[in-house]
Amino acid sequence: MRATLVTPPSLDEIPEGSVLLAGGTEVVPQLKEGLLEAATLADVSGLVPHGIDGMRIGAGTTLAEIEASGDVPSALREACRLAASPQIRAMGTIGGNLLQSTRCWYWRLGYHCRLRGGDACNARDGEHREHAIFANGFCASAHPSDVAAALVALGAGVQTSRRELSVAELYHVPEPGDPRTLALEPDEVLLELVIPEVDASVYLKAMDRKRFGFPLVGVAAARRGDKTTVALAGVAPVPWLSDGSLDDATPLPGNAWKVEVAQALVDRALASIRPS
Amino acid sequence: VARLIRTETEVEGRFEEVFLVVEEDALEQWPAGPREVVGRPATRVDGLGRARGDALFTADVKLPGMLHAAVLRSPHPRARVTRLDLSAALAAPGVRAAIGPGEIPVLAQEPAYEGQAVAAVCADTLDQAREAVALIAVDWEELEPILDPDEAVAGGSLLDTRRTERGDVDHGLAESDVVVEATYRTQVVLHNSMETHQSVCRWVGEDLEVHISTQYVWGVRNDLARGLGIDPDRVRVVCDYMGGGFGSKTNPDDHTFIGAELARRTGRPVRTALTRSEEHVVAGNRAATIQRLVAGARADGTLTALSGDFVNAVGFSGWNTLVEGPMQTLYACPNVRTVTNGAKLNLPPMKAFRAPGFVEGTFGLECLLDELASTLGLDPLELRRRNYAEVEPVDGGSYSSKNLLECYRRAEPHWERRHEVRARSTATVKRGVGMASQVWWGGGGPPSYAWVRVGSDGHAAVVTATQDVGSGTRTALSQIAAEELGIPLEHVTFAVGDTSRGPYSTLSAGSSTLPSMGPAVRAAAADARRQILELAAQRWGDDVGELSQEQIQEVVGLLGNGQILGTGARGPNPAGMTVLTFGVQVAEVAVDVETGEVTVERIAAIHDIGRVINPLTASSQVEGGIIQGVGHTLSEARLTDPATGRILTRSLDAYRMPTIADVPEIVSELVDIPDEHLTNLGSKGIGEPPIIPVAAAVANAIRDATGADVRELPISRAEMLRALSEAKTREGVAV
Repeated sequence: MRATLVTPPSLDEIPEGSVLLAGGTEVVPQLKEGLLEAATLADVSGLVPHGIDGMRIGAGTTLAEIEASGDVPSALREACRLAASPQIRAMGTIGGNLLQSTRCWYWRLGYHCRLRGGDACNARDGEHREHAIFANGFCASAHPSDVAAALVALGAGVQTSRRELSVAELYHVPEPGDPRTLALEPDEVLLELVIPEVDASVYLKAMDRKRFGFPLVGVAAARRGDKTTVALAGVAPVPWLSDGSLDDATPLPGNAWKVEVAQALVDRALASIRPS
Repeated sequence: VARLIRTETEVEGRFEEVFLVVEEDALEQWPAGPREVVGRPATRVDGLGRARGDALFTADVKLPGMLHAAVLRSPHPRARVTRLDLSAALAAPGVRAAIGPGEIPVLAQEPAYEGQAVAAVCADTLDQAREAVALIAVDWEELEPILDPDEAVAGGSLLDTRRTERGDVDHGLAESDVVVEATYRTQVVLHNSMETHQSVCRWVGEDLEVHISTQYVWGVRNDLARGLGIDPDRVRVVCDYMGGGFGSKTNPDDHTFIGAELARRTGRPVRTALTRSEEHVVAGNRAATIQRLVAGARADGTLTALSGDFVNAVGFSGWNTLVEGPMQTLYACPNVRTVTNGAKLNLPPMKAFRAPGFVEGTFGLECLLDELASTLGLDPLELRRRNYAEVEPVDGGSYSSKNLLECYRRAEPHWERRHEVRARSTATVKRGVGMASQVWWGGGGPPSYAWVRVGSDGHAAVVTATQDVGSGTRTALSQIAAEELGIPLEHVTFAVGDTSRGPYSTLSAGSSTLPSMGPAVRAAAADARRQILELAAQRWGDDVGELSQEQIQEVVGLLGNGQILGTGARGPNPAGMTVLTFGVQVAEVAVDVETGEVTVERIAAIHDIGRVINPLTASSQVEGGIIQGVGHTLSEARLTDPATGRILTRSLDAYRMPTIADVPEIVSELVDIPDEHLTNLGSKGIGEPPIIPVAAAVANAIRDATGADVRELPISRAEMLRALSEAKTREGVAV
């Protein structure tokens, strides 16, 4: 791995084709593993907004900062607290967290799978015990972001260098002819997240160990008045907006257990934010 | 006096009949209980150095002009190299040499497992070496791999098959009141040493100097000498501090042979270090097992028959571990039949891993015993007492010492907690308590030697060429020397890890470093002390009596530049006796019956290892074993792609070792009773025993909490939910 690191003076002066670097907890390992090619790395950590201001969160804010903030809804705070390890949370930014790639072991080992334009999903036919149980017909990868599920449940918006959209709209379910998992333009930069007020919210997570694991299943739920929104991590190639029922899940032979776990966590999440 | 004996040696359950030259062990054991230094907790003599970063690991060795090697490893479980071209690699920047299949024996033309070394490059920097490896042009012809252990056994792809029977199992089953049968499966587990496998090789004239992260400097020396066709004394092997091995670091391995050849070709030192990803593939593993077990018993719990059909999924090479060992040796059952097939597969070779075979076999046997207790409506602890073996069940011989009943007695208060623990269950979180027993070797054996040098300052330098693999060997052995010499622990220095500096020591595996080396160190210290007493008698007369600290200081002060040299050897093991360690663990768990989450809340570990030299480092071993055991019980699994056999878990993200948040409260108790027949210390090893019963104790606690029979490791959420669903169905049928 060899790349030139540049520190552009402004977001408008990022050299074309650069890979953006903020916390580096995802980009650097991908570069080392050869999963990401970059001639130029642009350090944008000084350019992207940083900090929590009311219900606006700079995309450069670290998970550790959000975890410690009393101003953000519980679902987001818990999603940050239960993510990764303290060291990684101290480096990783919320913007980078939303844009991270799947932990599908086939993809991480560089298999030429459908996400890379190949003609097979290795996981569907192979070892998929922790893969997707929704939208998995084309690609069974599971989206690993706890934070994304929390933001989708909260109905958060995102301000990019080009437009405003909802966090849910950042993502694209990979499909034949368009295997992207993100709906961003190549040079689009996340700037700020906008978190609407909610009356109650929660994030629950199942891991293989007590800490430092990606979600086998993560469940975020938020309530505004009598309207409740549920979003799941680790169950589909993108953060998954759910109506609270797992009945339409399409598990693979080796991951039906995830449906049971997801349903239990959804029921608990809904119970915990029900108006008293 | 040296004596030639014919004896059986044991390492990790592998036995060999050999001639041994041993020296008599003439010293009386110390009385039981804490002494001045021995038997009292001592912090590690090297703790400060480790904390300061002074401790030099192989990873820290940087020799002038040192090159870095990188290895091309087969991406296929089974393949043939039809063309391999090193020219582009050789032309790459910084590259000094490159070697391919057939140039040395460890580079394979027809790799038979993923990760087998095929070619290697060395360059000025590690990045250059890696980039050059990527330039090696290879054409592979992929061959059909053998991956399924049962199919391998059926198709005759076997390392070997071992059959044993005592008594008559069919008769035993016929006279039983109940029979329980179950199939247990254990997964492939990786050692994941913090310091990856690595070495630095340098030729000094005709002599080879090797710095290597190893558990056995003498074994590496002998293997390298044999492999390179040179005299063993031309090979010097050095390992000062080392970052974990757990059984996987007793040989030079391919990386060291590659380093030795590249160093020879370039005339420069060469470092060859496995990456973390390589460590996940080719550094060895605990083989998966399938255990089809049957137990027959009378209504009162007396075992009448045990039978086991075992498959060890060994990989392409390695050995067929004694997974049937616990079934043969733990209980006084008259009729036992075992068949153990070692399946030869196109998967990376297993290596010894902390109580190889017994960790896996104890999971099966001790879960089966609890399923039997549940069928009979008997208390699991009582069931084990009823089948207690007074004599060694295989040959009817005597134990050198056995305090398993004392372990059971000390387990009672922990076992009694189960009523209170169960009462803390809620609608969704069920709690329970389970137990499992432990049997293992751990007595060590000859040959092993130590020297003790006392100078005019009254300080002692203990010179050995053993290794401290991180378990506290330097500290415990220094305590033994200090005790025997009657000097403070701070006045002892301890040398390890250099075949050119000290005398032979056995390997640091099989829980054997302390029971093998400890008696040799004591004998050497006693030899030095005897010489000091002789000098004192000449100084003050034969009736000088017990020497005070000051008198010792005064008499050695007369030495000037002279030195007293004491030598000591490990004596033989007691003839005609079986030397074993025993123990019991009691686990408390909480099971979320809706999400399948298992939390191990507490483990009480009571082990019988003879005399305890250092209670502090011994308890560290208990804690380490239990933590490693919790990992293989709940979360660790090496996974492969079912179709191709390629390894998928190559990172610390995909392969899930426990974090500190997964560690239960650990209560460690050691039955500190010297084995009166074993050496001048009466001490056995503690490295392996604590990991052995963890999985079964946890699984049995899960049964106690939920009624579900988990039969597969790791107890993932999938396995936990499967077992809960099966238990529910069974209940439904029963109603």
